[in-house]
Order: sequence, then structure tokens, then C-alpha cells
Amino acid sequence: MLEAKGLSVKINGIPVVTNSSFFIPEGKITAMIGESGSGKSMTVAALLRMLPAGALASGEIRFMGTDLLKATNEEMAVLRKKEFFTIFQDALNSFNPSVKMDRQLYAFSAGRVGDDQESFRKKMKAILGKLSLSAEILNQYPFELSGGMLQRCMIACALYVKRALLIADEPTSALDKVVQKEFLKWLRLLNESGTTVLIITHDLDVVADVADEMIVMRKGEIVETGAVADVLARPTHEYTKRLLDSRF
Amino acid sequence: MKSRKKLVFWCSLLGLILAMTMLSDLLATQPVNEMDLDSVYSPPGEGHLLGTDHLGRDVFSRLLQGGKVTLAVAVLSVALSFVIGVIYGGISGYVGGWTDSVMMRILEALISIPSLIFVLAFQAVMQGGMWGMTFIIGVTGWFTTARIVRSEFIRLKDADYVKMAKMFGTPVWRILTGHLLRNSLPPLFVVTIFNLAGAVFIEVSLSFLGIGIPPSIPSWGNMLYNAQNDLLIGAWWIGVFPGLLIFLTILSINFIGEALKNSGRRRFHA
Repeated sequence: MLEAKGLSVKINGIPVVTNSSFFIPEGKITAMIGESGSGKSMTVAALLRMLPAGALASGEIRFMGTDLLKATNEEMAVLRKKEFFTIFQDALNSFNPSVKMDRQLYAFSAGRVGDDQESFRKKMKAILGKLSLSAEILNQYPFELSGGMLQRCMIACALYVKRALLIADEPTSALDKVVQKEFLKWLRLLNESGTTVLIITHDLDVVADVADEMIVMRKGEIVETGAVADVLARPTHEYTKRLLDSRF
Repeated sequence: MKSRKKLVFWCSLLGLILAMTMLSDLLATQPVNEMDLDSVYSPPGEGHLLGTDHLGRDVFSRLLQGGKVTLAVAVLSVALSFVIGVIYGGISGYVGGWTDSVMMRILEALISIPSLIFVLAFQAVMQGGMWGMTFIIGVTGWFTTARIVRSEFIRLKDADYVKMAKMFGTPVWRILTGHLLRNSLPPLFVVTIFNLAGAVFIEVSLSFLGIGIPPSIPSWGNMLYNAQNDLLIGAWWIGVFPGLLIFLTILSINFIGEALKNSGRRRFHA
């Protein structure tokens, strides 16, 4: 599905991701784990080609035959619109605070697949019901909803558009444990509907709960990759062992 | 008085002043420039509610018409400065980098010069009437608006919802208007309210100095200008009433701005 080879990112000449190679298999949930500043978010920004000013990426990121780092802006815009869906860390910040939810959910879902308002309302209400959300939320503003509800709204949009790859950047870090469990359940549901998921996290419990594959990053380098069950049972790198020790 | 009650009081007072000036054609008892040389300097009373001036013109009617001119100049000039400030600050904040640095240095240079100097320089060149005054106050009053827009755009452009919009291929103009400008409106609104008070003050000041609205058009400022000598001969009503209305208008605008600023601050800290 997606393969990075020798990916490096420098910000104003300072390396933040160094010579990283990894593979995200189709139909699975892959978790990228590491401490703050390990280069996880910058790796995601590189594959979305949304790096901050002053940052430069090199290497190769191949997605469905296209090298994302060499694709034109137009090709990238099409890929971002038609193949990717992204969920950010702070759900409240992911929605425009001055616009009601129905307009925003429409833009994030039906607007991207060309559905009209009527079919959007019908389909979205069904999806919201599946996620235990009332259709009432469509008439509310983002600040009237909780963080968990807003993250579920994001999942609802992802379920609506059914993109090939969902990238979730620290989606659970602002959620309490109970809501986090719920969220991961919906994420699994989305994965079962056919979407490949890349989840960025620093929480090993999240990885153990939901992921099939994991990539461990430290100081801008990938130190370990493999199936979650294998890595958790037999960690080979010192940092992964320390991560596991810190879990209990 | 609770802050909400205060806000309602000052809004009602300003609303009353605005309504009276806007309905000046209906409420005026006499044509504003009609002279009655048989009743010059009539004190307030029967026939002339607020008395007459040195040419026998009705002060009440001129006060209403003058308010319309003063407030129209203020509102239109603030609208002009709002547009210029939003465009300038928006480009500076959104584009960033060298463009932002250069635009901000220019803005700082402009801010360091007292705006009255700009106004006087423009006025000397344009010799403007009502529209000229509007233009002059508008093109010299956008500096604060631009700074606020720039800082809000810089703060908001890295928000996740803007990143989402960019990722979904939302056109730049929609990001600028629907995401950035829309969410910058609360602080902008407060600044605009204060700019409005400032614009009333500049119009009044220039007209009081005799370089503002031409004498043929009544405005609160040139009514005060004409009243300077009248005060010496005891015709207090010619200067006091426009002065009182200027005072109440600026005071109510400032109190409204202050209340909105405080409510925004409380919401921010909540």
C-alpha cells in the first residue's frame, strides 16, 4: 500500500527524520510509536506533503505506484482529496469553531464525493447512528460537543468517504481512557470496512489494543518494525524494551 | 450596574442617537440652511427647541442633520479602513516570510507617524468635502486593523481545521474568508468599534479647526467651530448641544467596545 525508502526530513538543515524505511500493508492497522520529538508527525507531514516552512524531505515514499515526494502539487491535491483521510490530535481544533457541524461534515464527506445535501443527510444520519451519535449534533457548533464526540464525527466522515488510507495523528491523546477505548473500537470498524489505517501514537496501550503492525521511532530513526504481537513479545531494540518496561 | 445592563444602556443610547440622526429629514422642524434674520440667537424655547444660531438657523434641525453627516463620515471611513486593513493584514499574515517582514516594517513606519499629520497632509492636497473626509479618515485609519488581522491570521493559519481545509483542496479564497477572516471577526469587531469613535473624533476635530466638512454642510464639528464666538456673547446653546452629542456618542461607542472586549476576554479565559 505505502512504502517509504530512505526517507529523511530536515528543518532548516537540521535532520528530524533520518534515512527511514518502512512499509504500511494494505487492509491493516499500522501504528507508528515513539516519544515526543521522535519524528512521527514529521514523517506523516512528509507523506502528506504538508511539511512546515523550511522543512525539506528526501528519499522515496511510494503510494499506489506514485512517488509522493516527486508528485506534482496537482497530483498530490488529487491524492489527498481522493485517497487519504486524516484525523488530527485535537478534535475540537479540527473543526471550524464558527461553522455548524452539518456544513463541516458535509464538506469533509459528501462534498468530497459529490453527494447532494439530501443524500448526505440520509447517509450521515445512518452512520452517526452506527457510532451512537444523535443526528441532533448536525445542528450544533463544535464547541457544544465533547472531544470524544468530535473524534467520532471524524470517523463518521471517514466511513462516509471510505478512502484507501486513514492517517490518524495522535487521535487519542486528548481523550480519557473510556472514550479512548470507544474510539479505537470505531477505528477498528473503519478498518474492517476496507480502509488501511496508519495511527501515530506515543501510547503503547493504544498500539496493543488496535494495531496489527508497528513501527518504533526514536530520535528521527526507525529502530524496530514488525507485527505487534511479535514486537511486544520479543522486542529486539533497547528502546522498545524500555518502552515496554515503562508500560507497567 | 451589571456589565450586560451597561451594554444594553449604551447600545440603547447610541441607537437613539443614530435613529434620530437617520430620521433627521422627518424630525427636523425647519430646513437646515433656512435663515431667519429676525430671530438670530434665539434661546431654546418656543418655535426653536434648541434655539437658533447667528444666522437664525434652527439648531435642533442642524444638530440632527449634522449628526447624520458626522456619523456617515465615521461609518463609511471605518468601513474603508476595515477593507484596507483586512486586505493588508491578511496578505501579510497568510503569506508570511519576507512579504510579512517587509509589509510589517512599512506598517510600523506608518504607525510611528501621528495619523493627524497624514490627515492634514491629505486634507491640504484634496481640500475635501464630505467624501474627501471619508476617504482621508479611511486611508489613514487602517493600521490597527491590519495588525490585528495579521496576528489573528498567523495564529489561525496553523490550526488543524485550516490544515484539514488545505488537505481537502479547499480554495485559498475560501480558507481566507471562511476559516481565517470569519474566526478573526470578534477581535476585529472590537477594534472597529474603537475606530468608529476615533473617526467621529477626527471629523469633529478637523471641522472644529475649520479644515473639515465645508461650512455649507452642517456637521457636529463645524457647528462647534461656528459656536466659538457665540459662546463669548452668551449663546451657549449653539455649542453645548453638539458638544453634548459628540460626548455621548464617543462615550457610548467606547463603552460598547470596552464591554465587548471584556466579554471576549472572559470567554477566552473561561
